[in-house]
Amino acid sequence: MTDQPILEIDKLSISFFTRLREIPAVMDFSATVMPGEALGLVGESGCGKSTVALGVMQDLGVNGRIVGGSIKFKGRDLCAMTPEELRDIRGSEIAMIYQEPMASLNPAMKIGKQLMEVPMIHEGVSEKEAYARALEVVTDVKLPDPERMLKSYPHQLSGGQQQRIVIAMALMSKPSLLILDEPTTALDVTVEAAVVELVKDLGKKYGTSMLFISHNLGLVLETCDRICVMYSGEAVERGSIEDVFDEMQHPYTQALFRSIPLPGADKNARPLVAIPGNFPLPHERPDGCNFGPRCDYFEAGRCDAGFIPMEPVPGNDRHQSRCLKFQEIDWNAPLQASETTEKPEPGPVVLKMDNLKKYYEVAANALFGGGDKKVVKANETLSFEARESETLAIVGESGCGKSTFAKVLMGLETATEGQILLDNQSIGDTAIESRDTKTVADIQMVFQNPFDTLNPSMTVGRQIMRALEIFGVGVNDTERRDRMLQLLDLVKLPRAFADRMPRQLSGGQKQRVGIARAFAGDARIVVADEPVSALDVSVQAAVTDLLMEIQREHKTTLLFISHDLSIVRYLSDRVMVMYLGHVVELGSTDQVFSPPYHPYTEALLSAVPIADTSVKKKHIVLEGDIPSAMNPPSGCPFQTRCGWKSKVAGGLCEKEVPPVRMLAEGHQIKCHLSDADLSDMEPVIQIAAE
Amino acid sequence: MEPLTWTGAVGAFLNPIFAIIVGLFVIALIVQLVLGLFAPAMTLQANPDGTLAGRGGALGATETAGKYLFLAVIALILVYVIAPLILPYGMVGIIGEMSQRFLPVWIALIVTFTLSIIYRRKLGLYGKLFDSTVGMIGFGIVMFWVFTAVFVGLFDWIATHDYLTQVSGLKNKTPGVPVPEGTVGDIPHYLLGGDNLARDIFSRVVSGSTFVIAIAPLATIFAFMVGITLGLPAGYYGGLLDTVLSFLANLILAFPVILLFYLLVTPEIVQTGIPSYMAAFLFVFPLVFFGVLLNSRYYTQPAKRTAILVPVLGILGWLYLSIINQKGTVIDFLPAWMDLFDITILVVFVSVVFVNAPTVFRIVRGLTLDLRTRDYVAAAQTRGEGAWYIMLWEILPNARGPLIVDFCLRIGYTTILLGTLGFFGLGLSSESPDWGSTINEGRKLLLIFVHPALPPAVALLSLVLGLNLLADGLREESLKD
Repeated sequence: MTDQPILEIDKLSISFFTRLREIPAVMDFSATVMPGEALGLVGESGCGKSTVALGVMQDLGVNGRIVGGSIKFKGRDLCAMTPEELRDIRGSEIAMIYQEPMASLNPAMKIGKQLMEVPMIHEGVSEKEAYARALEVVTDVKLPDPERMLKSYPHQLSGGQQQRIVIAMALMSKPSLLILDEPTTALDVTVEAAVVELVKDLGKKYGTSMLFISHNLGLVLETCDRICVMYSGEAVERGSIEDVFDEMQHPYTQALFRSIPLPGADKNARPLVAIPGNFPLPHERPDGCNFGPRCDYFEAGRCDAGFIPMEPVPGNDRHQSRCLKFQEIDWNAPLQASETTEKPEPGPVVLKMDNLKKYYEVAANALFGGGDKKVVKANETLSFEARESETLAIVGESGCGKSTFAKVLMGLETATEGQILLDNQSIGDTAIESRDTKTVADIQMVFQNPFDTLNPSMTVGRQIMRALEIFGVGVNDTERRDRMLQLLDLVKLPRAFADRMPRQLSGGQKQRVGIARAFAGDARIVVADEPVSALDVSVQAAVTDLLMEIQREHKTTLLFISHDLSIVRYLSDRVMVMYLGHVVELGSTDQVFSPPYHPYTEALLSAVPIADTSVKKKHIVLEGDIPSAMNPPSGCPFQTRCGWKSKVAGGLCEKEVPPVRMLAEGHQIKCHLSDADLSDMEPVIQIAAE
Repeated sequence: MEPLTWTGAVGAFLNPIFAIIVGLFVIALIVQLVLGLFAPAMTLQANPDGTLAGRGGALGATETAGKYLFLAVIALILVYVIAPLILPYGMVGIIGEMSQRFLPVWIALIVTFTLSIIYRRKLGLYGKLFDSTVGMIGFGIVMFWVFTAVFVGLFDWIATHDYLTQVSGLKNKTPGVPVPEGTVGDIPHYLLGGDNLARDIFSRVVSGSTFVIAIAPLATIFAFMVGITLGLPAGYYGGLLDTVLSFLANLILAFPVILLFYLLVTPEIVQTGIPSYMAAFLFVFPLVFFGVLLNSRYYTQPAKRTAILVPVLGILGWLYLSIINQKGTVIDFLPAWMDLFDITILVVFVSVVFVNAPTVFRIVRGLTLDLRTRDYVAAAQTRGEGAWYIMLWEILPNARGPLIVDFCLRIGYTTILLGTLGFFGLGLSSESPDWGSTINEGRKLLLIFVHPALPPAVALLSLVLGLNLLADGLREESLKD
């Protein structure tokens, strides 16, 4: 291999042109990718990281244009190429993997055909050879039964399998550069871990350079050699992973790391620090440093006076920062002690699940309703208690039954068996129409998707006031309006927002309105269904802290549904791990996050990427996908993917559903493993001594 | 009086210029098209000030030439339209006099467009329409006919003669024919000639617009009320209700429309009262719609609810009874003083609503199926909202984009349907000036005299085209949000 870089981006500027103005999307962006190297591109949504990728592909649409700088691929300038030359390179030398696997595959073509197209078009090989190549690559991406895979249509595969096929397609022509645009965002954590593992291995095997675009710092740490942090169209810091993670030299990078929950963060003693302010709109960027208005180290007259260049950090290898003051700032200064709070004592039990079951009957024949009925067991013997001002996290991947559970609790569905007791009153069989206003107001929900949680055609104030009307708060409209404004204060939104339409709000602001609406009737139990997973990292911290603060004030019981174990560890008091409708482990946060684990918990913990170089993780990759709830495996639901199955004698795992065992006070687990095996387990996450 | 020529004295001088410029414009278009086939793909080039640069070379030159020629054509057309306003009568011929007659419409259009363009940023979707050329053209054409209908219907302005008066000697006379001395009328000519009953075609066409403009939107609104009131629950609840309603909708859609109309207007069928009962059934939906809409919104505040609901339902109920109550039909129970109006064309109205409602129903049902999975619907459910509140206040407003577009298109279809009904003489009196009937009358001597049938046909075509363009513009702009 030569020392010539595969990709060399030099002072690249990309703008989009609209009828009104030019919108600069990327400014003065430089990056180099050497052969076999993986470069991570990190930043919040709207910072221009995907635009860079599209610029490399020269696929900016009719409005986009490269207005400055150059992109060189193996020494050739991509901007100067003709469309024919570009077509030649795309797909064969540079391949791209997009976020949504289903959208990258042609749903009307068999997988095999789509894969075979690549070498047939670019290298003109025969159909037979193309088939052989396709088979080889599909085997390489570790898909079971490759021949059957090639014969199936995309919709017959699961999301994880589809993404593997997309990766296979990208690798078909052995490209020298692979661009991955958030390749795992749409996947579950354990599947994500497996895909990331695969990409890493294949990168090594084929010697492919990678441009890895992600908003997840932990993922970049696991996959890349070098990292480039972007903010508002500019690269603000770049360097090797170790340099940037351990010796960050830009205030934005620092703020970003302080706002993500790393092991050791604690909601009471060491809360997260959200980045103040909002991301600037592309045409409203400030003068000078784009991050200036949100920066702790901002110095008026200096940071907002003109262009700021990338400066190399002395002593480090190709480590640069776009900050005027990076040599003056004491980067090792400890975080200023922000207010620490007392951990509130959990009060009396307010919510009790007793042997809750929820089954759905699905007719095998949808048209005539006859035939065999299949039973989908969405929830299986759920039992737990939740106390006042306690945070109970419900963790699990998609299809584990957490949403069904939320529906039953809210009263949108009724329980098949068992009871839900609210203040010792059974509400499990009462649908929401027949619940009294008090009960309805007591249990409220915060939804996942901020862009979907508010009615787009009603003002923010109107929506909160409607909730107040329904819950019978206030005597007349004036009183309700006052209460609504107080609720806006509670979630720290300006009162002027009352008359805004939801589309004028950012994702984080919408989520705050959603929280205000949930607390309209002084809810005592709030079910938060992944309330921050769709938000940017810096906003996540602010919204999480807000939830915690309101919880402390109102002594709310928070049921926090999430698949993100970092945030669960940060804010919950107790954790419940669910798999295929079963509670496989339940205990306090410390008990669940330290051995002995349930094998599934162990795998989940190992799958979560952690953005800290000092953390050493045990590596467990689960095989296969989550089984369908329509057709669950016999015996233990997790037995098909469990790595510990061989330790249980007599194939017990395949025969019987394991009983619930108490390991310690309040720590229960559903597993056949013997006590000895459990106590042999090693911790998954270890923080290296500093 | 001399007969009027098409363009009069001014035309003798302007027409050759107009012909040359139009010719050049067409040539430029063809050259541009041919060159465009061989030109390299256009890449965006930015000027230093951030604007986009045009294309250079021969193709660029023809593009520029074509643009200026097009402007010249527009300018000349404007001369034909504006000149007659200052020149004496007859100088610009028939075209000039027609433009003169439409003066109130021009003024109304200019005022509408000026105000709308100035305040377009504050006007929501309607304002955004003025960002789209296609939408603006469509809106212009539609408003042209709307204003014409209003001015003819309310002030009797634009029509030159009474649309029913027959003047002897003008039967099937060509456009621009002078009327005999002493004929009652605003001008001494039949601008578009006379029809086979010697009536003024121009006056008949502009009077016919009132019929279409009054009936088409109203009938479409009723069809939407029915479609929405049934489509929302079908999509929201699904299940058996959905199956039954969808089946009924398909049943109606599968029945031949024209045959249905023929059946409905047959005197024997009218006598059985079927059309009246259908009217009673279909027109109750607006009442249900508004009743449920307001009740679901205000039921938490009973005093306010009653204060709003009683007057609204009272007025709507009275209108409803007046509409369905017809003298001489099976439904005739209201005392005469309470019956506000008698709609002579109730059958037409019922038929149009009846065949349009199922299509609206299917659109609304489809939109509801999609929207009911949104989180804000779940949020409404978890705070215990009633089903009708969710359907009417959470789902319906967010389905408005596609519905508005479909509304415009559907007025167009209704217009065509009304034309068809008129053409077959269904439910309308034989001297009615509506466009369908007028076309049908002109058809009889089409091979000898083309002029009686053409103007109403062009009018019908332009209105429907305008509505389609308007719908296109709205769709384009609503997607840009």
